[in-house]
Amino acid sequence: MISRQSLVVAKWEFLRFFKWKQQLISYLLMLGVMGAIFAWSYFVDEGRQQYRIAVPAGFSLESSAQFQFQQPTVSLEEQLRQLQQDETWHAVLEPGDEQVLIHTKAGKKWQQQLQSVLLEHYRQQYAAAQGWSAEQLAALQQPVSLEMRYLDDNYKGKDRPEKLIALAVLFMLLMGLTTAFGQLLMSITGEKQHRVTEQLFAIVTPQQWIDGKVLGHSLSALKAMFTTTLMMLLGFLVAVLVFANKPLQLDWLNLGVLAWLLPFALLGVVLCATFMAAIAASIDDPNTSGKGAVMMITWLPLLFTYLVIDSPTGWAMTLLSWLPLTSFAAMPVRMALVELPWWQPLLSLMLLLATLYWLRRVAGRIFLRGMQMYGKEPSWGDIMRWALSNKAD
Amino acid sequence: MQITVTQIEKHYATVQAVRGVSFQIQPGEIFALLGPNGAGKSSIIRMLVGMTRPDAGHILVQHDGGEFDHVPRRYLGYLPEDRGLYADKSVEKNLRFLAQLHGLSAAETEQQLTHWLNVFELTDRRKEDLKQLSKGNQQKVQLIAAVIHRPALVILDEPFSGLDPLNQEKVVQFLQQLRADGMTVILSAHQMAMVEKLADHMLLMAKGQAVLAGTLAQIRSQAQPQPEVVIETEQPISSEQLDRWLAGYSWLLQTPQRLLVRLNETQQLSACLQQLLPYCALKNISMQNPDLHQLYLNAMTQHQQQEQAV
Repeated sequence: MISRQSLVVAKWEFLRFFKWKQQLISYLLMLGVMGAIFAWSYFVDEGRQQYRIAVPAGFSLESSAQFQFQQPTVSLEEQLRQLQQDETWHAVLEPGDEQVLIHTKAGKKWQQQLQSVLLEHYRQQYAAAQGWSAEQLAALQQPVSLEMRYLDDNYKGKDRPEKLIALAVLFMLLMGLTTAFGQLLMSITGEKQHRVTEQLFAIVTPQQWIDGKVLGHSLSALKAMFTTTLMMLLGFLVAVLVFANKPLQLDWLNLGVLAWLLPFALLGVVLCATFMAAIAASIDDPNTSGKGAVMMITWLPLLFTYLVIDSPTGWAMTLLSWLPLTSFAAMPVRMALVELPWWQPLLSLMLLLATLYWLRRVAGRIFLRGMQMYGKEPSWGDIMRWALSNKAD
Repeated sequence: MQITVTQIEKHYATVQAVRGVSFQIQPGEIFALLGPNGAGKSSIIRMLVGMTRPDAGHILVQHDGGEFDHVPRRYLGYLPEDRGLYADKSVEKNLRFLAQLHGLSAAETEQQLTHWLNVFELTDRRKEDLKQLSKGNQQKVQLIAAVIHRPALVILDEPFSGLDPLNQEKVVQFLQQLRADGMTVILSAHQMAMVEKLADHMLLMAKGQAVLAGTLAQIRSQAQPQPEVVIETEQPISSEQLDRWLAGYSWLLQTPQRLLVRLNETQQLSACLQQLLPYCALKNISMQNPDLHQLYLNAMTQHQQQEQAV
């Protein structure tokens, strides 16, 4: 159970790094940057301009909003001179026997679109010359429709909306763990360097201290995940409702999967924060210790899961979804893509919970023993011995 | 709170920090641990706090009908040797956080905060970040942090370090007030003049061992078993004269008119004076009372000599 002192430490730690003014400013800055990117891409979008293309006599393609095809009365040499010297033309077409030359001043993005339009036009001309109908041409362009059909009824399919949720969860976890990593390292080693630790030891037990730290920084991580989700949702809503001008459809959202994602994500963040706290507690001086990098091991479950996300029924994903140190990332993804019996996620969650309980005890022991060494950093051997010891503190 | 320490020992890797030390602390007294750096004072304090356990011997803490092998956190106020608070937080936030950890209500916290900030003249600086304060003022905040919850026992490891003489005096008054309020205080210090004013009992340590223990008077009698008297004469005298006049006494002629005599006991003074008076007129007579600083130096010198002899 979490003690009252742990909750006080957790609140202190959470508020220590929660500077709402700075946070608001950073979000406004982020919005500003996004706005600038949007404005820049709007102004440099070549697709919105109209381009004048000089085409030979008999060219039958109709002008569009983007391309205006004109048949000049002057010679090709004069057209090329105009292209070179003034803004009369953006491109000049010169048809040959086997190919069509497109003359232009320099390479631009809109020319790819012009090539697509011309290619389609000449393809249709070629089909007409061969006496093919429009249907025959369409059939030639897409001769057969390929569709995957899966015999395993539990496999929901490859590119389902749930996969998007699973990927989003992995991304959010990465955000959360990155936040927890920085804060925990700074908070725990900073306390040691500012020599607050011994003072706190006289007030709270090492276990209460570590519990409070883990809880406080897990809350910070969850806050980072929540605000990022909120920002992304806002961006999504603006994109759908304002720019695309489409009605909002959320029927693809699988609430059942979401309900399972939350406890896994929550416990996953707490588990990783506990691991990070244990390692940070063993660091005496972050400037000289090499242990800080070990805290990044907590990102591996996310990476491993991502690497096998397209084989959710494979042995690798199954293994990851059961291992308590990786299940927080793998099980939600597997659940999103494969229909599982209810007891599997539940059992995986229980294993995760048991591991978390054990790990928090280990973290408490490492903190206490590390502090008793007075300025000497424990070796990996010491840490392993403390982790495996069952001695009451 | 009564503390009985019996024959405790503590090893760290290759160093034996504490060797068979015993002492007792009575409720409501100020007990001082004295000794040079590395004497083992902080090691004893850490065992009392429960941060480490003795390798041998035992600690018995008795309070409110309970018995413990170290001071329970709920009764303890602690100023560690290795100390600091959150430098980027205000004085008030630091102290409120610690008070909350001790379980004080918001009203109790405010009351204690107001009281102690006033005592240490920090009221108008309560909103300032700790890093903005001078070292001395930060030390005062640390002292408040140790007592804000009014513990039964306060352990202060080097409470005078980093303080100017004025603030040292303030801390002396603060400790006297704690004793008057019924708290038991254990302190370790190098400032002998301060300890002399304060401590009811003291323990002098060297290289992990107890060298002297007791009240100031007891320590004085242990460190200087033979009382000394300084006699000033009206006329100059010589060593040859003294050989005749003070036969059987140990003496030292410091100047031609100033003589130091070592007695076996204080009662011997009158016999000594009677022996001297027929030969010379005396101007002044004073008993030598070395201060704690001198006693400490004597004791440490003796200890070193004994160690070298061994």
